[in-house]
Amino acid sequence: MISEEQQDQAALHVLGLLSAAEAAAFESALSASAELRDFVRELREAAADIALSAPSQAPPASLKQRIMREITTEKLAPVPLQRAPFGWVPWAIAAGLIVFCGVLALDRARLERELTGARAADPLMQTAFFTLGPSAPAPADAKATVAWEPGRQSGVIRISNLPAPQPGRDYQLWAVDAAHKDPISAGVIRVDKNGIAQVRFKPVEKVEHVKAFAISLEREGGVPKKEGPILLVGSA
Amino acid sequence: MAEEAAIVQQIADREMIERIGRGDQSAFSALYDRLSRPLYSLALRMLGDAGDAQDALQDVFLQIWSRAATYNPEQSTVFSWTVLLTRSRVIDRLRARKRRLRIVASATGDEDADVADASTMESAADTADKNDEAARVRSVLNNLPSEQREAIELAFFGHLTHHEIAARLGEPLGTIKARIRRGLLKLRERLGT
Repeated sequence: MISEEQQDQAALHVLGLLSAAEAAAFESALSASAELRDFVRELREAAADIALSAPSQAPPASLKQRIMREITTEKLAPVPLQRAPFGWVPWAIAAGLIVFCGVLALDRARLERELTGARAADPLMQTAFFTLGPSAPAPADAKATVAWEPGRQSGVIRISNLPAPQPGRDYQLWAVDAAHKDPISAGVIRVDKNGIAQVRFKPVEKVEHVKAFAISLEREGGVPKKEGPILLVGSA
Repeated sequence: MAEEAAIVQQIADREMIERIGRGDQSAFSALYDRLSRPLYSLALRMLGDAGDAQDALQDVFLQIWSRAATYNPEQSTVFSWTVLLTRSRVIDRLRARKRRLRIVASATGDEDADVADASTMESAADTADKNDEAARVRSVLNNLPSEQREAIELAFFGHLTHHEIAARLGEPLGTIKARIRRGLLKLRERLGT
């Protein structure tokens, strides 16, 4: 339960109005409460949208040229990504981890249910994002992003750089769920001639604790249980 | 459908930021094309000066280029992250401007010189734009009780603290805090962010 005073502080925090001391105290409270962090994130998104109410004006075209020149000539190197590579995780290990994490996942689900009321009116906040990286034999630059909405039991997947399969074969999307021994089919995905797909999907069974999504190469029309090689896989 | 479009846009934004983090200039160019207008509009509204707003926008995009890898999707969407960066850079400039004005006022003995931040405050009701999302935000903002909208706009665009807003409007501090909170909660509810 977030008190009214905390809500006041949260509103001032997202607008950058807290003093340094107040901000430090509030950050401390934030680190101790997932519910408060979710609340702040929601308020931050609402506050950011206020920017759109400013009278719309485009910057001069010369500004973009200036900035592009700057990043090219000034050697402003981006900070390297700190993320671990998305390597292929063998199904057996994944299954073991899933079982191991089952109890924790169920506990987390209980906490998430407590937040459901506060977040029910906010579908975007319920969206979990998964980045899927390639696994041999997929091309090295193949990738996909999944936006998963647990409340609706559906999601949107966007695939790029995945060439169309040979005739008689299809790509199939799978949800790896803590409560199911085998991956749950989320349907066949067809890419266009440029290796791109962007579709909404819905798993064939209810999945409450999705740990990962994966795409495999299967027989045309898809299969009820995964048979073929995994091409893309990734967790949240 | 608007909701799905928003999700797809979020995916595209995250992909662009990931590519920028790897030094991809084409992704940076694409993100600039998508966000430069709203961010510039924000900077211009807060600073009231086109030259200053362009300099601030340049700072923001150079920061995006060099810090894309530090973006944390758990904390905010790409859009709200860049809005935060923009407000931060603009506020730095407003503070520097205020310091300069104080020095001038002190040197000339004109202690009553106006050192307020954005002097071009105007109501969202006065603006017009064809962008759907912008129009929706304006509509929601304009439908807030006027005293809540006023407090939020003074804080967001004018960067007045709640203490300064209370003094300017002659209202108790607690009243101003409550107006800001209630206004933001209504925005959250009605924008479905």
